[in-house]
Amino acid sequence: MFEPDEELIGRVVRQLRRPVTVDAGLDARVMEQIARLPARRPGGPARAAWRWLTRPRTIRLSPLGALAIATVLVAIVLWRPDRRSGPASARAFGFVVVAPRAATVSLVGDFNDWDAARTPMQRTRKDESVWTAVIPLTPGRYRYAFLVNGVSWLADPAAPAARDDEFGAPSSVVTVGGS
Amino acid sequence: MGIHSVGTSDVEAVRRVLGGDTDAYATLVARYRDRLARYAVHMLGNREDAEEALQDAFVRAYRSLERCDDAARFGAWLYGILVNRCRTTGARAAKRGRVFVRDEAALNGVAHASVAEQTEGEDVVRWALARLTPEYREAFLLKHVEDLEYEEMARVTGAGVSALKMRVKRAREQLQAILREAERV
Repeated sequence: MFEPDEELIGRVVRQLRRPVTVDAGLDARVMEQIARLPARRPGGPARAAWRWLTRPRTIRLSPLGALAIATVLVAIVLWRPDRRSGPASARAFGFVVVAPRAATVSLVGDFNDWDAARTPMQRTRKDESVWTAVIPLTPGRYRYAFLVNGVSWLADPAAPAARDDEFGAPSSVVTVGGS
Repeated sequence: MGIHSVGTSDVEAVRRVLGGDTDAYATLVARYRDRLARYAVHMLGNREDAEEALQDAFVRAYRSLERCDDAARFGAWLYGILVNRCRTTGARAAKRGRVFVRDEAALNGVAHASVAEQTEGEDVVRWALARLTPEYREAFLLKHVEDLEYEEMARVTGAGVSALKMRVKRAREQLQAILREAERV
């Protein structure tokens, strides 16, 4: 398998493939940490179906197609209406995205467990290419993205990109300050 | 070998966790712990950091399980999270000035002619590995130690296949040079 002089690499690989053990208490620590998190809401068939419909998929586009989509999908900055809703410390935040060809757009983020079913965006009456959603946010830092047609993840180009995106899909960051 | 050889079981476990059965997650933790630990220990060169990254990766994966779009590929998805945690932890460790710490307890000895010889050999290998840049070390470990295909590596790391092939090639060349030099000393 290895080329000449690769016997050395073969020896290195064999050594590195030996089992490694970690603290036996790691499993318990993980489960303890998880137990302190808010309980998951059990999902029924409808929720499972929605998850299947809205799960991200990789789509291949020609450069021309990608350019066409890029030209029509332009996100606008967040706006903050002067009204309050939800918990006392929460403020209403508006999210806007322009997606003329989209059939559905969902707002997903840390604030809704990245659940596409929880915050569907609505078309505005004045311009059907503009989609909006208003949600209450308490002070904190949230990562978010738009899910277009249930398949395309879209970060908000008008907002800072999330630097610690370990999930393989682009996302943005909004920081809500206290008042 | 890949990282989705137990797909059916993963699908069932993920389904149960998403359905509210938190205990089902313990199955996934136990299943992937050792393999991921090997990557984290070799990547970070330090057991303490590796355990921290591993624990964090498992908890993050649980919190974001809805974003795992294919439960049969849970292992690959989890790998992606760990790779990112290791990058973050590694960068932080580098700022602290910690590059490589000998950690005998992290290695579980297999029957060998000489334990002393084995430990010495492993130390040299880990020392050489620690001298690679994180990008080269990451690519080398994923390809040759964890046995991932390039396409899978691309999904896990976010890098292109060509770039990954180049990194693996350079990593191998550098490891050879470092170890040959060590043998001459």
